[in-house]
Amino acid sequence: MKANINQTALRKSALIGCGLLTLTLTSCDSKEDLNDSAQKEGKFFIAATGETAQYILLADNLEAGDLKIGDNVKELEQSGYTWIFNDNPLAAVGLIYQQGDPGVGLGFTANADGSLREPGQFQITSRFTSYGFFESYALTSVGGQTPVDAQGNALADANGNERSDGVTFNFIDLSNNFSLTDKTITTLNITGNGEQATFSGIVDMGNGEFLTGLVVSQPRDPSATGGASSGTITCPDSVWVAAYDKELNLKRIYRSDKLSYSSGRYRSQYYSQLGKADDGSVYVFSGSYESSTKNPCGALKINKNATDFDPSYYFNIEEKTEGYRFRKVWHVTGSYFLLELYNDLPPASVNTAATQYGVVDMANKTFKWVTGIPAKDKITGTGLPMAYGGKIYFPIAVEGDAPAIYVINPASAEGAKGISVDGASAINAVGRIAQ
Amino acid sequence: MSRRRYSVAAFFCPVCRKIPAQYAVPLLLCLLCTAPAFSQEDAVQLWGRVVSADGSPVEHASVALRNTRFGTVADGKGRYILPAPAGEYTLVVSAMGYATVERPLSLRSRQSLMLELIPDEKEIEEVTVVGKSAVRQVNESAFNVVAIDAKPLHNTSMSLTHALDRISGVKIRETGGVGSNTQVALNGFSGRHVKMFMDGVPMEGFGASFQLNNIPVNLAERIEVYKGVVPVELGADALGGAVNIVTRQLRSTYVDASYAYGSFNTHRSNFSVGHTAKSGLTFQLNAYQTYSDNSYRVKTQLLDVATNTYSQEKFWFRRFHDGYRNEAVVGRVGVTRKPWADRLLLSVTLSQEKAEIQNANLMKIVYGGRERKAQSAIPSLHYEKKNLIVPNLHFSLTTSYSISRNNNIDTLARQYSWNGEYRQKSARGEGQYSMGEYNNSVFNATANLRYRFADMHHVSLSNLYSDFNRKATDAAANSENSVAATFMRRTSAKNVAGISYRIQPSDRWSASVFAKRYDVLVRGPVDVSTVTSSAVYEEQGRSFSTEGYGLGATYRILPSLHLKVSFEKSYRLPSENELFGDESLETGDVGLKPENSHNINFNICYDRALSKAHTVYFDVGLIYRDTKDYIRRQIEQRYGGAYYANHGQVRNLGFDVEARYFYRRVSVGGNFTFQDIRNMEQYAVGGRKLIYYKDRMPNVPYLFGNADATCNFYNPVGRGSVLSATYNLRYIHSFFRNWESEGGDIIIPSQLSHDLTLTLSLRNGRYHIAGEARNITDEMLYDNYSLQKPGRSFMLKLRYFFFKQ
Repeated sequence: MKANINQTALRKSALIGCGLLTLTLTSCDSKEDLNDSAQKEGKFFIAATGETAQYILLADNLEAGDLKIGDNVKELEQSGYTWIFNDNPLAAVGLIYQQGDPGVGLGFTANADGSLREPGQFQITSRFTSYGFFESYALTSVGGQTPVDAQGNALADANGNERSDGVTFNFIDLSNNFSLTDKTITTLNITGNGEQATFSGIVDMGNGEFLTGLVVSQPRDPSATGGASSGTITCPDSVWVAAYDKELNLKRIYRSDKLSYSSGRYRSQYYSQLGKADDGSVYVFSGSYESSTKNPCGALKINKNATDFDPSYYFNIEEKTEGYRFRKVWHVTGSYFLLELYNDLPPASVNTAATQYGVVDMANKTFKWVTGIPAKDKITGTGLPMAYGGKIYFPIAVEGDAPAIYVINPASAEGAKGISVDGASAINAVGRIAQ
Repeated sequence: MSRRRYSVAAFFCPVCRKIPAQYAVPLLLCLLCTAPAFSQEDAVQLWGRVVSADGSPVEHASVALRNTRFGTVADGKGRYILPAPAGEYTLVVSAMGYATVERPLSLRSRQSLMLELIPDEKEIEEVTVVGKSAVRQVNESAFNVVAIDAKPLHNTSMSLTHALDRISGVKIRETGGVGSNTQVALNGFSGRHVKMFMDGVPMEGFGASFQLNNIPVNLAERIEVYKGVVPVELGADALGGAVNIVTRQLRSTYVDASYAYGSFNTHRSNFSVGHTAKSGLTFQLNAYQTYSDNSYRVKTQLLDVATNTYSQEKFWFRRFHDGYRNEAVVGRVGVTRKPWADRLLLSVTLSQEKAEIQNANLMKIVYGGRERKAQSAIPSLHYEKKNLIVPNLHFSLTTSYSISRNNNIDTLARQYSWNGEYRQKSARGEGQYSMGEYNNSVFNATANLRYRFADMHHVSLSNLYSDFNRKATDAAANSENSVAATFMRRTSAKNVAGISYRIQPSDRWSASVFAKRYDVLVRGPVDVSTVTSSAVYEEQGRSFSTEGYGLGATYRILPSLHLKVSFEKSYRLPSENELFGDESLETGDVGLKPENSHNINFNICYDRALSKAHTVYFDVGLIYRDTKDYIRRQIEQRYGGAYYANHGQVRNLGFDVEARYFYRRVSVGGNFTFQDIRNMEQYAVGGRKLIYYKDRMPNVPYLFGNADATCNFYNPVGRGSVLSATYNLRYIHSFFRNWESEGGDIIIPSQLSHDLTLTLSLRNGRYHIAGEARNITDEMLYDNYSLQKPGRSFMLKLRYFFFKQ
């Protein structure tokens, strides 16, 4: 471990969405700085995929010393995990839900000697399309669920159709052996326009509440089928953000007409476009996914503990990106965020690829394309980036070579190749674990 | 005088020779078929009675023509009918307890012949089953075909898959107990690469309730396994081979009824009855039923439903939600031996099943309410006419239409643990809330025209057309991978046409060549929208075609030793998903090549009676498979989603050995399969070097075998009774679940298991009592990672079989 670690960089994170192919990013606010010894005991945790199986590798350095997939310390029973990393304590949480079966969630920390420790396996019974950390919990949510009464019978709407406005949360308690509890709430008419909502992103406000972006839509046509939990979007020019407490009581809803909804979508996934800067303010991004919206992609701000958007803040990101829209947002450090942008202008369909990257400084409203990483038409996959020591560590897989972790300086947006994992088809996530 | 038994080979089944059930050992026959099932040469008839010196009838005597494949078994009153082409023969007549008679026979026209046998009290001890005749007589095709004679297994409570599992090169992989999901692997190929047929009709559309894993072995006359090279009569794009179930169609009057009860509250019953009148009118009815609680014990981690966390330790639990039931009726009615039809049969198969689902594909994930149901109805028509217009031109046509419905049900708002406890969940579905229903309908038509000229030339034309329709309805499902188009209609029409030519100038050698043409037309929804959040679907059609070919030859070096070699360039055509994509984020590609394989087989068969009492049988098969252009789903972020590409090369070099030794009343044998299946692809699609180049294919058993020993005791409880004791052993060597070079540590362990069967047959095979003990050492058995199979179990079966020619 390098001696010149930037302590402040460790403190961050807003957990942000991630995807099917790639994984998430995250973070929570640490309540206190970690001490040096804890860091020395910590290890970099790398989740990598071979042909199909997923493996865990541990490393002390991400900038030198290439790895091979055969160096793995564990083969996982299931593959396709989405990883999120908690700051305090340093822990890796693997989330999975596949093909109608519950998944076996995994929690990892490190032993005193730096070896991998698996303190808990938990069952994830509901699907999830969004996730993040809130207090001592890893939290997931999924919309479009059929809510039930105490007897387990489905709730029906006025026309007798089963309702689909349930949002099911899983609370995974890191302070209690990764035990999991779930709770379903209903969203019908929470925005007052008779529609229902799917949630996107989870950001801990630090005051006992978390924020989540709302994708507000008509109920799904009961005869409709398909993966998306939302129905027809009738208000593509509005953004809603809801604040909930730990008991999932709705505290308030933030609304603005300056942006479209705050969510990046891919298949049934709703990628978080919310992120908290180091100063505690939350930036609400919108990638303007909905083709029918008039609003360009941009961002608004909710100041720490504020009950409304900051009226003085609006950032039109689209005019800085030459018109490219973004899909995913990850907080990096300070007020820097990493954006994943669509390759086409404008995105023609859900199939449009997104392998361009840029760094925005939300405080100064600047945007820079990331340089020093593979060209957009060479990138076959990316993983969950990690902010560490004031830098971004970003797994990128390219055609014809082993996937590698690129190290990006957020201020200059310049990247350089770090370690690679030979024999892997992808590096899914990189994070840190400690005792 | 020869002690050889030219047993069986009933005339409706000229392609194989079988061991009469009452002398039976579970003998694997190396079977070499011209046509898979249905052929019969232009024949005159020899008929009459077999009697003892005192004039009393000799039951079930074997009447056969030496060095031909023509033979039959007399009925309980000694009556026999033996159709064969006109010619000069040596007639061989034999029966248990009598000295064998051989005499020259000049067969010119339909003639009757009374055959007299002299009792030979000594012989009853010496005679055991002789496999030699079967191999030797039917040795005409050059293909690598193995068949199992199902009749000796009719006293057991096996399903067809368990019978298949005893064939070299075949590995059955089950996920659990009775009725569980089953995969048939044939020389390393499985899934879409191995096609299943029943009497030549593809079983794909038959529905889950009428498949190999739930059909009792009693329905079958025999099971044929075509390794790598598939004759044109079985029309399918079978890359790695095919399995054909030949059902029992006795042209006689019979009743076969059985009931079995055993461990885990398992009940199986089977009733079949058939009658063919003098007028040619025939009917058959076969009904069976299976039920099991599958309440065997498994060892796994326990979920604490209060905290949703798993225990670190594993504990034993009894399965509590794994009940399975299956019922089916197969009815046939028709006419035989009419001037306009040698056979015209109308049949209907109705089946249904219901299975509770106890666990996910990791056993620690347990359910208490999920289930699946399936139903199917299959009407079919079979027509056969020999000497159509001109002599030696034979025609057959089989059409079937199957309708099947499958339901997946997951509605409980509960979460279970292995100790049966549950907690209430806040949303419906233990996994994903579903009341999904999938409806398939399949139309199949197979036509076959065969012509023989100048005695040695055989030409055959075959055509199979199938039309597959699928519709899914699952409004409740909300799964990640489904889109609206998932629930739209998809159709797939496939035509496979084949031509083959075979020359057989003598008993010593034969050779054949064949060619096949495959055409497929798929129709399905295509997303034609150009905006992000809505999809507009339009039905489109896409077509695909290719040609394949093959050849084979067989040569007898010595009377007891023959060689055969066969080759096929085989294909699997792209499926509708591969041509269309999933209409969401997957892109189909009409430019795909079919998956293709060069399949080569070389077999040496040795089959010899060393003396009166000793017979050995030995078959070594060498196989080579070079398979390329696998159709793989690729996901690349730079393309925005998944697409299909041809990629990959796998080579399999292996051998199957089967050996058997008969000594008087004892038979000992076994088979052993080794297949070195390795990835020969050096680079990933984008050019990245693969570390598992030349690695053994993961999650594929590569070394396994069976051994068995049978001892028969004749007349233990009176004349006509046979007590038979059979021991079976199965071994499978451990294999990695993922590529070994990736350094993982998950393996499926080596396993050894033992079964015992005791069968007592009375009154010349009319009554049978069988006791089976499976996995007697109570091993923990796994075919798939984590999915434990049943431990020790017992079964008792009672069977009544009445047969009258």
